[in-house]
Amino acid sequence: MDWRVGIDIGGTFTDFAALDPRSGRLVVHKQLTTPHEPSAAVIAGLPVLMQKAGTEIGEVGTIVHGTTLVTNALIERRGAKTAMICTEGFADVLDIAKERRYDMYDLRISYPEPLIERAMRIEVSERIGPSGEVVEALDRGQVRERLQRLAQVREIEAVAVCLLNAYVDDTHERDVAAIVAEVLPDVSISRSADIFPFMREYERWTTTTMNAFTQPMLSRYLDRLEAGLGELGFAGGLFIMTSSGGTVTVATARRYPVRLLESGPAAGVHFAARLGETSGIADLLAYDMGGTTAKGALVRDMTPLHRYEMEVARVHEFKLGSGLPAKIPVIDLIEIGAGGGSLAEIDARGVVKVGPRSAGADPGPVCYGLGGSAPTLTDANLSLGYLSADFFLGGEMVLDGGAATEAIGREIAAPLDVDALRAAWGIHETINEDVARAFRNHASERGFDYRRSTMVAFGGSGPIHALRVAHKLLVPRVVFPAGAGVASAIGMLISPLSFEVLRSDLVELEALQPAAIDQGFAKLVDEAADAFSGTDVRRTDLTVVRALDMRYRGQGYDIEVTMPADLAGAALIEALPRLFADAYEGVFSKSFPERPIDIVAWKATVSGPRPTDSTDFAFDRGAADQARKGVRAAYFPDAGGFVETPVYDRLALKPGDSFAGPALVEERESTCVIGVGDRVEIDGHGNLIASIAAAEGTLAA
Amino acid sequence: MSKAPVDAVSLGIMWDRLIAITDEILTAIVRTAFSVGVREAWDLACVMFDAKGRSIAQASLSMPAFIGTAPLTMRHMLARYPIESLRPGDVLVTNDPWLGTGHTPDICVARPVFRDGKVVGFVMTITHLPDIGGAGLAIGNPDLYHEGLILPVCKLVEGGTFNPLLRDILASNVRVVDEVFGDIDANVAGTEVGARLVGEFMDEYGIDELQPLADAIIAQSEGAMRRELAAIPDGTYRREMAIESVTEALDLACSVTVKGDRIALDFAGTGPSAPVAINVPFCYTRSFASYAVKCLTTPSIPNNDGTLQPISISAPEGCILAATKPSPTGGRHTVGWFIVPLVMSCLADVLPGRVQADSGMATLMLVTARRSDGREMATQYFLAGGLGAMDGHDGRAAVPFPTNNAVVPSEVWERETGMRVLYRRMLPDTGGPGQFRGGTGQEAALVNQSGMPVDVSIFGLRTKFPARGFLGGAPGAAREFAINGTAIPPKGRHTLAQGDTLTIREAGGGGYGDPKLRSVEAVAADVAAGAVSVAGAQSDYGITIDAATGLGTRA
Repeated sequence: MDWRVGIDIGGTFTDFAALDPRSGRLVVHKQLTTPHEPSAAVIAGLPVLMQKAGTEIGEVGTIVHGTTLVTNALIERRGAKTAMICTEGFADVLDIAKERRYDMYDLRISYPEPLIERAMRIEVSERIGPSGEVVEALDRGQVRERLQRLAQVREIEAVAVCLLNAYVDDTHERDVAAIVAEVLPDVSISRSADIFPFMREYERWTTTTMNAFTQPMLSRYLDRLEAGLGELGFAGGLFIMTSSGGTVTVATARRYPVRLLESGPAAGVHFAARLGETSGIADLLAYDMGGTTAKGALVRDMTPLHRYEMEVARVHEFKLGSGLPAKIPVIDLIEIGAGGGSLAEIDARGVVKVGPRSAGADPGPVCYGLGGSAPTLTDANLSLGYLSADFFLGGEMVLDGGAATEAIGREIAAPLDVDALRAAWGIHETINEDVARAFRNHASERGFDYRRSTMVAFGGSGPIHALRVAHKLLVPRVVFPAGAGVASAIGMLISPLSFEVLRSDLVELEALQPAAIDQGFAKLVDEAADAFSGTDVRRTDLTVVRALDMRYRGQGYDIEVTMPADLAGAALIEALPRLFADAYEGVFSKSFPERPIDIVAWKATVSGPRPTDSTDFAFDRGAADQARKGVRAAYFPDAGGFVETPVYDRLALKPGDSFAGPALVEERESTCVIGVGDRVEIDGHGNLIASIAAAEGTLAA
Repeated sequence: MSKAPVDAVSLGIMWDRLIAITDEILTAIVRTAFSVGVREAWDLACVMFDAKGRSIAQASLSMPAFIGTAPLTMRHMLARYPIESLRPGDVLVTNDPWLGTGHTPDICVARPVFRDGKVVGFVMTITHLPDIGGAGLAIGNPDLYHEGLILPVCKLVEGGTFNPLLRDILASNVRVVDEVFGDIDANVAGTEVGARLVGEFMDEYGIDELQPLADAIIAQSEGAMRRELAAIPDGTYRREMAIESVTEALDLACSVTVKGDRIALDFAGTGPSAPVAINVPFCYTRSFASYAVKCLTTPSIPNNDGTLQPISISAPEGCILAATKPSPTGGRHTVGWFIVPLVMSCLADVLPGRVQADSGMATLMLVTARRSDGREMATQYFLAGGLGAMDGHDGRAAVPFPTNNAVVPSEVWERETGMRVLYRRMLPDTGGPGQFRGGTGQEAALVNQSGMPVDVSIFGLRTKFPARGFLGGAPGAAREFAINGTAIPPKGRHTLAQGDTLTIREAGGGGYGDPKLRSVEAVAADVAAGAVSVAGAQSDYGITIDAATGLGTRA
């Protein structure tokens, strides 16, 4: 029972990867997603994967699963009939929201509706003060009476309990939850101090409503999945991928469904980070581009950057501020409205714009021949010769290049008075600029010097654009990993069990006692370790990372400071000013040793052992022994236009092989476009490593 | 290659890159600046200029007011330091309200971008400093000299060296020296990042001057603006509007003349400057006037010199919208914000599908106290009214306009000040009735439980003149301030003793169109959402809501 399996449900495909850790052998499979019942594709695809692997389900010890179910339920508003119980005077917090415009010029600005309609919100008399003191006792009778009254007129499946200042003291929230459980024994209950005990009521409560809203549905899904896997004969452990790049037990997933948002992309970034570790790359840009969106993330010192807020169900998909905030530990993703299906158009300025609108899978790009008439990025990439009309998805789909070029000519080239090829290049290059811009801004905000980093490119469209993007960023090297087409599924099966617990608790550093800091962390660690109950991970095998959010007193900006593992008590307190100053200088290039410091929040991440030590996997190779499979005309402006370009079969390339661009390297799910003068080498792990032409001099210097 | 005309494909890609560079400068400043205003409220801007000093790109999240003033500032800087007097490593600065953004705390910093010994363009950044000396931002300041240190246009950095005398003068005049220099240094470093990024961009595309690209950007934008203006019927459209000064009414007037593909805005008829700090230097008036035109015509086109070309703006010197030195200007926004709805109302009849009825705007309150341990508390409270309605679009509740400050969560407020927030509630029936309803206001009650007296300095507006409705829509409700239930003057300083309760009722936005045309379903939904009461449905819309079913019927 050694095999580990990762299963990632995406919008179009459900990806499978199976690893035999003894041999390092990795087997992959793709199955069309079944949107109405996502577990159906899982149950149908697993036997096929087992067959490809030459083993059987009884040999699988662990399945790690990532699902977009929670995200989709929030976007489509398909969730439980949810009520909210909140502090008297604050039911409108969900409507008042952040009081901020996310677009300065759009007068018709609109915002997402709260998840809970007003009639389903109950206010109750109680008040906890900002230091945890009881300002007004909870009126229990009133809670009971108001809840019963609502339940008489409305069906209630879930309840979000959201009280002011509950992040300091959650006694009243616990009491309310107990009354709810008594009055309505069958409903699921989410409490704000349990979901995310942080200051700022709007964000904490909104996150809590998301948890409540999606809980019953996720729970039913997991029931069906467990039953289906059981019928297939699976007797190992099922784990669920979270947004922070770790996995949790099914029980934890049921309790915190909101932590499953964006778990697929998080797994892809985790894969990139581990790949970097295996290859000795500390700092990297993970670049994943598929059919509708591109995602990026920064990895510093082999650890993906993370944050504690994301947005869900945006009114404008790529406008920050137009969605509902979810406060959860999450990998710090960049989202860009750019993918193969992104539609090209002429904007109000009279220039080419690509995305964020997408042709999606239906009708899809013009070249799919499924009825699409608006040109997309994939149509441009086909016109430019980067994609092969006959080898798309390994030849399963034949593309119509003539129709693609014709559409670009009609919709873009003619109105701009340029030829179709120039327009196609414009579409391609516009996306390169968009992606480069998103990386630049993200890196700049975080003080991350991408010039010294390496890009890891994956997803169906990422490898087509990666080198041009890297060129613009002056990133000297791009890695195209083996297995790039199912990076998230691979990321899942190599993720450790992990759970993070955090809490706002304001403490003045000079008043902090040694016993208090140790107890503060111990409490968090105990809580996080609870998430491992029911697994075979022993307490002694757990790795703990402690961190504090700190700031200069009076400043609004918190810096996360990781505690050295070997320090505790008085020694740790003594080290804190220096640790904070170092972290502060890392972001702001200076510090202020004289200023008093506040601790704002406490965090502990507890992880189980890693399932594998390296990403040095053995993939099943194709039959071809000839790596160079022919030539094709492809467009390289640096070489003067269309040039006959060698085409290589990715699976037939061997470690040590090397060549210079222009070149195209094809595999089933994607194509790596190698530019003029860029050099490619296959490393010992089967990864394709490209060095940027222009940056070679800079690197040597 | 550099002299080749820029085709539409290159134009789009390179234009976006320039915008990306300004965005990156802005994020670099936000990361390195020290003040909360810059980092949390994004009170800053970045604009790029060509070698002629014409604006060509701006950071997407720049403050609208600064976008409009920056081109004038650049012009003043070049008048003082002609291009041939500039050397690599020079950085220019000013915070003069008449040359900069209209009040002293905003500092404008500009760096020439050199390539092969020649200036190819400029990068300017503007941030709101945490302090600039003087009496601070207070409504009662009698003249400009109370409002702090004024730097004329001068070289802050010369050949890479920060002018030591200037540094000493600044350090001798401001209260929080570390924060102020932290922010100034962030501006200087941000422009340096910008100059480097422009160089890399030119390397990548093999170009040695920005002029052909700048010309194409400006021409393309100007063309788009002119096409939009040409579609507006020719004519002169005039409106007047009363707003409140401190206690008395103040008249603002505007005539908008559209002729062919040009538009002229003139503020003749506007009342005189005031003896308190609410006067508006003309640069700020010009900025919000062009912002209003931009929102109405080409909201999706990035701002640059081209979009401004067909717009001319004037105001008689000495009126409150073209105040003269040494009028105090610290709170110039409390008058300047009204320019946007004033211009909208002028064009309501000819652009009915685009204008927005008056918004409730927002309240900014400076809160100070001395804690028992002697430490100063100084913070801001911010509360927004409802947005104005538009054709086909109800106004959103509790959103600021035309400014965009950020809310203070009640939990943060209670923790920082020791004041308790009793409640935050939407105020039913405060949004102006209309076929499309104005955004509702909100009410907040704050009790001083801090154990110390707390001073609140309020810049309140719309207490006497509520947000107007457009095209048959009714006005929103006015703003109200009270301490322990007794109304207080909206502009000024008040002290809250222990146990005192301050109540703020935020103004609603104006409605759009005849309320009789609002659908029964929409009114029933308003009642369910708490935006309209059952009584309001009856009195404002003539609709009876059935208490049991929630359904409505129109009499």
